[in-house]
Amino acid sequence: MAKQTDLLQGTLDMLILKTLALGPMHGWGISQRIQQVSQDVLVINQGSLYPALYRLEQQALIKSEWDKSDNNRQAKYYELTRKGRKQLTEETESWERLSAAVDRILQTT
Amino acid sequence: MFGKISDALRSLFRKDNLERDMNQELRFHVEMETRRNIERGMTPAEARFHALRDFGGVEKFKEECRDVRGGRLIESLLQDARYGARILLRNPGFTLVAVLTLALGIGANTAIFSVIYGVLMRPLPYKEGNQLVIVHQQAPLAHVNDTFFSVKEVMDYREQSQTLDAVVEHHTMSFTLLGGSEPQRVQTGVVSANFFDVLGVTPVLGRTFLPNDDDKGSDAVLVLSYKYWKESHGGDPNIVGRVFQMNNSPHTVIGVLPPIPQYPVEEDIYMPTSHCPTRASEQFMANRNARMMSVFGRLKPGVPVAQAQADLSVIASNLAKQYPDSYPANRGYAAVVAPLQEELTRRARPTLLVLLGTSGLVLLIACANVANLTLARLMRREREMAIRSALGAGRGRLVRQLLTESTMVSLAGGALGLLLAAGGLRLLVTFAARFTTRSEEIRIDGLVLLFTVLVSVVTGLVFGLVPVFSSDRNLNNSLKEGGGRTSASVSRQRTRNLLTVAQVAVSFMLLIGAGLMLRSLIKLQSVSPGFDPEKVLAMRVSPNWSKYNTTDQTRLMLQRLLDKVRSEPGVQSAALSSTYPLNQLGIVNGPFNRGFQIEGHPIPEGELAPQADFRSASPGYFETIRLPLVKGRTFEDIDNEKAPPVAVINQSTARHRWNDEDPIGRKVSFDSGKTWTTVVGIVGDVKQYGLDREPSDEIYIPLAQSGFANNLLVRTQADPMNIASLMREAVYQVDPETAIDRVQTLDHVREDAVASPRLTAILLAMFAALALVITAAGIAGVMALSVSQRTHELGVRLALGASPSRVLGMVMRQGMYYVLAGLSIGVAGALLLGRLMSALLFSVEPSDPITFLAVSAVLVAVAAVACFVPALRVTSIDPMLALRSE
Repeated sequence: MAKQTDLLQGTLDMLILKTLALGPMHGWGISQRIQQVSQDVLVINQGSLYPALYRLEQQALIKSEWDKSDNNRQAKYYELTRKGRKQLTEETESWERLSAAVDRILQTT
Repeated sequence: MFGKISDALRSLFRKDNLERDMNQELRFHVEMETRRNIERGMTPAEARFHALRDFGGVEKFKEECRDVRGGRLIESLLQDARYGARILLRNPGFTLVAVLTLALGIGANTAIFSVIYGVLMRPLPYKEGNQLVIVHQQAPLAHVNDTFFSVKEVMDYREQSQTLDAVVEHHTMSFTLLGGSEPQRVQTGVVSANFFDVLGVTPVLGRTFLPNDDDKGSDAVLVLSYKYWKESHGGDPNIVGRVFQMNNSPHTVIGVLPPIPQYPVEEDIYMPTSHCPTRASEQFMANRNARMMSVFGRLKPGVPVAQAQADLSVIASNLAKQYPDSYPANRGYAAVVAPLQEELTRRARPTLLVLLGTSGLVLLIACANVANLTLARLMRREREMAIRSALGAGRGRLVRQLLTESTMVSLAGGALGLLLAAGGLRLLVTFAARFTTRSEEIRIDGLVLLFTVLVSVVTGLVFGLVPVFSSDRNLNNSLKEGGGRTSASVSRQRTRNLLTVAQVAVSFMLLIGAGLMLRSLIKLQSVSPGFDPEKVLAMRVSPNWSKYNTTDQTRLMLQRLLDKVRSEPGVQSAALSSTYPLNQLGIVNGPFNRGFQIEGHPIPEGELAPQADFRSASPGYFETIRLPLVKGRTFEDIDNEKAPPVAVINQSTARHRWNDEDPIGRKVSFDSGKTWTTVVGIVGDVKQYGLDREPSDEIYIPLAQSGFANNLLVRTQADPMNIASLMREAVYQVDPETAIDRVQTLDHVREDAVASPRLTAILLAMFAALALVITAAGIAGVMALSVSQRTHELGVRLALGASPSRVLGMVMRQGMYYVLAGLSIGVAGALLLGRLMSALLFSVEPSDPITFLAVSAVLVAVAAVACFVPALRVTSIDPMLALRSE
């Protein structure tokens, strides 16, 4: 496994929102997806994931629904709301601005 | 934000549901992880183990999840409450005393607030009551503040006013209603047809007047007041349509009013102006100077009172210019408008505000007591607090716990206090009824409840915070044993002493207030009314006047009445008169002034004629009420209508108008010199309008010469009320259509005159006594605690050879030091605030030294006992034991 990086809370929120933008998913699935796509660089600590999900739900950025999963178990599926979609766009923009700025600084010699 | 609150509430109520959800979700996660581990090649057991381990401490992050969910605050508050309840129940003594003390304080405030809200603050139960105004006419230069209106004047103001939407008139008459079980005197409000529309009153039965009900020649109709309908007609639901005889013509009842306060007096029935015999007479309507009515109005929407005032002043000055004879310049003339709500509450305001201040102070004293008790108890809980603090509770959490407990105590006290207030409500309503017609609007309703809850919560916070602010938390010292000597407890002791000083000061002020009122009351009661009210019965007799068309017929009937009554057994003497001293009606309606001219002293141009109260009395009047004759003679039978006109004046009039000259034999005229009346006697002054008012100038003329009087006075040998029915019979035998009411003894009338200050004094005294008891209990508590805490030190002193009495003396001296400090502050405070009470006092200065001395003595004595009893324990201290204890 590649070196695992700690994630700031705000960034985790953004990643969750992005993952859900691709379609509704349950908690475990979200953590797996993030891990996969980041190629194991980012491993989500369960202790941060679920609190983050509950917080996002309270802020009405995502909503949840119980449904049958593929192995026929009851699982709680999360889905992005319109407010969440808007939030995601904003967060993505500010992340890009931030990382571009950091890049520029790192590149100056 | 609402999302958070609703979520928190949801979390609270559906806690189990959410817990289950969360568990299931986490279980799912673990299962998925396990499955994946199995796919990776682990055994099922290993897979599950790894999954759980990777997950981390489940409980810990369940807590975190729950935290995020919200709802924690309410849960922990409930937890605090449950814990607090356990603690409070384990200390029943403290809890009981605290709750009772607070119940008394909060209950008093609730009671007074309900009165104040009902009387002073609640908007009038009329439609848009704040737009209603009352208009007065004044003759400022003649010191007349309130004159009635004449018909022409009402019309002028109605037509010319630009700021008043409607102008309605009102006057009170007393008519006899026939058709019931017996002839009944009814107090009748004669009003404009749109009177009830202007007030915005809807009837509970039938209808009110229509605009053409006061047209000339319309059918005679009546509207009944709610109280009268309930009391005299048993709330008969079929009353609408019933016909009664009144003033020799049939009157039909068309409606019943709702139970609202009436202004200026409570009436029995209402009729339109067209059917009042006096009001409807052509002569009366044409005479601008025939004044009888009060005037109300409704402001046009958005018009401020000041604008209406300006408008009416313009009308007034125009009228004065147009009709100089009716508005002589030497009397002045002005029209004044005031909001109706103010008028209804004016008399009650000063008393109620004093009572509010008093009850507030009582609550403060109660708070101080409970704060002291809490401080004492807190000492024993120091270790508990220290341990909780060491386990991670923040200071805020501990404070929250204490505040929750104190609020619970105060809410319990508030609930009990509410019950107490509800119980005493009747007494308060009776009290308030003396000052305002709004007393029926006093009730314990939602707003009062809210007030109680608010006061309870604030009280709880206040006395809960006192201990918090009075000490600094030194953890180490608290955990060590022997906590009785830490700096924390020293500062607590200081707080307790300060509270005691404050309590003594406030109690002193309250006691002074009560003492002043009591002295005022005693002085009032000992005022001589100027006559002898013992064993005199009074009743108002109102024959059916329309039967007696000429003054002669009236005179004959009245004489027959007197003769009949005088012939009854048990009657020592009897008389008829137009009024009697301290008559409540006289106090309400005001003086009946008439100007007169003294022979030889023509009234100079521009000056006011001498004024006096005008009375008519039959022979025997002065003797019946034992009004002393000072000079000359009183009326006799020869002073009849054919004899020369005579008059009797009182000493006040003699003094004012004749100074040192002898008025006997001098002549006065009431009709600008056309006829002259001779003064034949001088009688003593009476307190006509109240024991605290100066006697006014009075002139009496014989009944035979005035032709009218309707109060029968009878002096008896035995208890006057015993012969009341006998008198009734006698009157009915003379004329069965006579209505008799206002039957009372003059003794009762005299008692009535001091009823208001008596009630106020009683209330204040109760509050002050309460305050004193609470303060004494507080002092005793503080002293007891101090002694028990100083056991060690006192034991040392005793062991070193001090005699028990010396130690006792020292302890008491130290205790009384604070009492005296409180006393001095109280004296200063009472001197400053005493002035606020002066409106209520009669012939007593707010700084009356006797009261101050007496109250100081009482307070010091009570405080000394409160100090002494617990301090007595000092003498029973065994030095050996004390030295060994901590």
